[in-house]
Amino acid sequence: MRCFSTLLAAAVALPCLAADVRVPFEKYKLNNGLRVILSRDTSVPVVSIYVLYGVGARAEEKGRTGFAHLFEHMMFQGSANAPKGMHFKTVESNGGSLNGSTHPDFTDYYETLPANKLAVGLWLEADRMRSLAITQENLDNQKEAVKQERRLNFDNRPYNTAIVDKWPEVAFGNWQSSHSIIGSFEDLNAASVEDVAKFFKTYYAPNNAVLCVVGDLKPAEAKKWIETYFGDIPPQPQPRRPDLAEPADRSPRSEVYHDPHARVPAVIVGYPGPKRRSPDFYALLMADVLLTGGDSSRLQQSLVKGKQSVVQYEANLGWPFSGPADYQDPAVYAVFALHNPGFSGKQIVEQLQEEFDKLGAAPVDAKELERARTFLRAAQIRELQSTMARARLLAQHEYFDGDPGVLSTEIDRALAVTSAQIQAAAKKYLTAGKRAVLTIVPAPQAPAKEGP
Amino acid sequence: MRTVVLLLLGSVGAILGQDVDRSKPPETPPLGPFKLPARAEFALPNGLTVVAVRDERFPLVTARLAFGAGSRFDPKTQPGLAEGVAALLTEGTQGRKSRQIAEEAAEIGGSLSGSATPDALVIAGSALSEYTARLLDLMADVARNASFPADEVALYKQNRKQALLAQRSQSSYLASEKTEEIVFGDHPYARQHPTPESIDALQPEALAQFRDRLLRPNNAVLILIGKLPPQGELRKVLEARFGNWPKRDVPPAPTAPLPEPKRTITLVDRPGSVQADVHVGRLGLTRRDPEFFPLLVGNTVLGGGASSRLFNHIREEKGYAYAVYSYNEAHRDAALFSAAMQVRNEVVEDATRSLLAEMKRMAAEPVTADELSATKNYLSGNFVIRLQSQEALAAQIVNLKTMGLANDYLEMYTTRVRSTEPDQILKVARKVIAPDNSAIVVVGDAQKIKPALEKFGAVQVTPAH
Repeated sequence: MRCFSTLLAAAVALPCLAADVRVPFEKYKLNNGLRVILSRDTSVPVVSIYVLYGVGARAEEKGRTGFAHLFEHMMFQGSANAPKGMHFKTVESNGGSLNGSTHPDFTDYYETLPANKLAVGLWLEADRMRSLAITQENLDNQKEAVKQERRLNFDNRPYNTAIVDKWPEVAFGNWQSSHSIIGSFEDLNAASVEDVAKFFKTYYAPNNAVLCVVGDLKPAEAKKWIETYFGDIPPQPQPRRPDLAEPADRSPRSEVYHDPHARVPAVIVGYPGPKRRSPDFYALLMADVLLTGGDSSRLQQSLVKGKQSVVQYEANLGWPFSGPADYQDPAVYAVFALHNPGFSGKQIVEQLQEEFDKLGAAPVDAKELERARTFLRAAQIRELQSTMARARLLAQHEYFDGDPGVLSTEIDRALAVTSAQIQAAAKKYLTAGKRAVLTIVPAPQAPAKEGP
Repeated sequence: MRTVVLLLLGSVGAILGQDVDRSKPPETPPLGPFKLPARAEFALPNGLTVVAVRDERFPLVTARLAFGAGSRFDPKTQPGLAEGVAALLTEGTQGRKSRQIAEEAAEIGGSLSGSATPDALVIAGSALSEYTARLLDLMADVARNASFPADEVALYKQNRKQALLAQRSQSSYLASEKTEEIVFGDHPYARQHPTPESIDALQPEALAQFRDRLLRPNNAVLILIGKLPPQGELRKVLEARFGNWPKRDVPPAPTAPLPEPKRTITLVDRPGSVQADVHVGRLGLTRRDPEFFPLLVGNTVLGGGASSRLFNHIREEKGYAYAVYSYNEAHRDAALFSAAMQVRNEVVEDATRSLLAEMKRMAAEPVTADELSATKNYLSGNFVIRLQSQEALAAQIVNLKTMGLANDYLEMYTTRVRSTEPDQILKVARKVIAPDNSAIVVVGDAQKIKPALEKFGAVQVTPAH
């Protein structure tokens, strides 16, 4: 990936997305391997910068859980020319907004700024890619911040511990996928400055990153800035990808979690999903729309309305950490359902399974399928409204598929799925024989676990 | 922050040279003017106000039908009535069953749902723009002809109670609920949330009565954003669906005297909490208040983002909290100003002391020139960034209309932010941000944190729901 000449690709105007939505873009690569995507849209004078690094929680080693996320915090602690606090301050005092997030297979950093501040945002991102300040003080401070985040979002809230710590253990057989994305207090405490520095050098190299800029930009000017700020950040050997292979044995499994903060019972059911962007992937994507897309979906109509057993649900390819755009196999199609306490968790699992089996057993009515297609098409267009959403999707498709243009062609492949393909996918994937189940039981009296 | 001043004075040429100084943020040109998309406003003869915004970027249409009919209209014994009406409007009409409404919404690539705020009941609809007329069919039908079928009402009650249980298992929900109760006293804004008992008591008749009284064209504004037909044609489309909807006198919004802010300390006991939600709240300022913008800017300096004082001192320097912020939640006729944080049990006393000290400092010394210019940029820039989607613009226009704001409120927003002076902030901070008369509300494990809170005065403990 390294040391190719710049400007490999010429500008590409995309064929239109269904319903006339075009997301034009230009893609090229710097000498140091940084992949760059630019997409111009002058309708609002803002610009979004999105930087994706090809490392996430699934690359962590044993004894180092939570490292990818801890590192995400470190990225806001200052760099050679932008000392601690300056990143937030610079973005916000220039009228922008920013954030970062950690995922199983990547970590991202992003800001949206008034269009005239593009150079400032690029300068900030480049400065931390080049020269992050990895000090003991910053590390200690961020360990505390992460612990506090854990207390707030997990130890003091219903469902989150079950979803983030427990569910992956049930859904996956390979430790790389099954360990907690936020990590344990013990492992966080053990992280040393040397560990962090090594992680930075290995993974936060330009050749392991994608930079995408969308909005009111002048391409020639933007390219010049990008070359100036990022061009001479040295590349590193391409990091090894973790071995994510799941054990061949996918026998069904089921566990119970007693949640001290939950007051409404819930279940999670999941099934190993297909390979990313395989024909089955699109078939299962349409199956998900039929099952859970909007108020006319099957789960809404037969379980929430008909049986009155489920109260609320969420579902996705890759739930809870990803959706169709950033789904990376091996991953799981999962449904999370809060349910009426008048039903047992077991009954809810059976009812969900019954719906999946029904989808496998009979063809989908043409009208229902057409409705699902329209629903999906509109949802995808709606998602593209903000420059940040487009920047994120273009970069993710570049990272996962090697082609940002997938953003505009993806929808056609989903819309082309036939009833027979949906039936076959439901039968192949959503079967009880491959199912993982986590039952969440409210246990309000149990003492909460206190962190060290 | 110094950088901001330099940047604004700098020239664009520097960055393009070969010898770029990468040790400093680049200098950038000033931002060109930004104009909000034009809004066309007209009314149908029955009083329905229509606001239309043309947005051709995407083949989408976003609609909001907003009524002056929020939770403040709920009878005292029936909190949750407005939100119940809102939720059930889409669950069946004289001509369409719940399922049919859901299917038709999906067929046009859209969604349809109702919700209620303290001031407004809003029907939200969206579709692919080629189906604008069908979307309006659906919206008119649910607004005018909802039938509140008994089985749908029963299911709503059952599920709403479970959802309420789930909400009440979140300490932040409990903290907001208690703070509103104390700060707004007898005013209807104190009762924004249902109780299990009030949900049980919901009857289809009460729902229909609420609808008949308040969901009237002369009490509504219809906001349309997207690829719209030309205005003449749009008028015809609207006349056909809403034209014969009879107007009717609507009762004035219920109100009550607001209590004088005073210091109380209330601890909502939540055994097993590993941390405490601390809120320091009192009456704030509405958007119509002449001092609203100074408060907006001052609040942002105090606790409105990752460069704010609270974020820097309480999260970054002291490490007490992951989340710490302040806000002025403005309703039409009253507002809640509050600073809030979630801190671990061991540091409740120190963190609360720091929080109160930062609030006091706002009232004791003027904000610095750097803070002020950075905050003005932050608010102005984010205002534009947030208007990118149709949904966000629709939400702003709903606020504008349901809170009775001047029509140029959005156009003037940035100018008003930019013209705020430090002494105006100091003045409003003495009135609103200084915490001497603020109520302290804490949700947490009383056994563990009560002694820490008693350092600040007498503590009243109440059980969590």
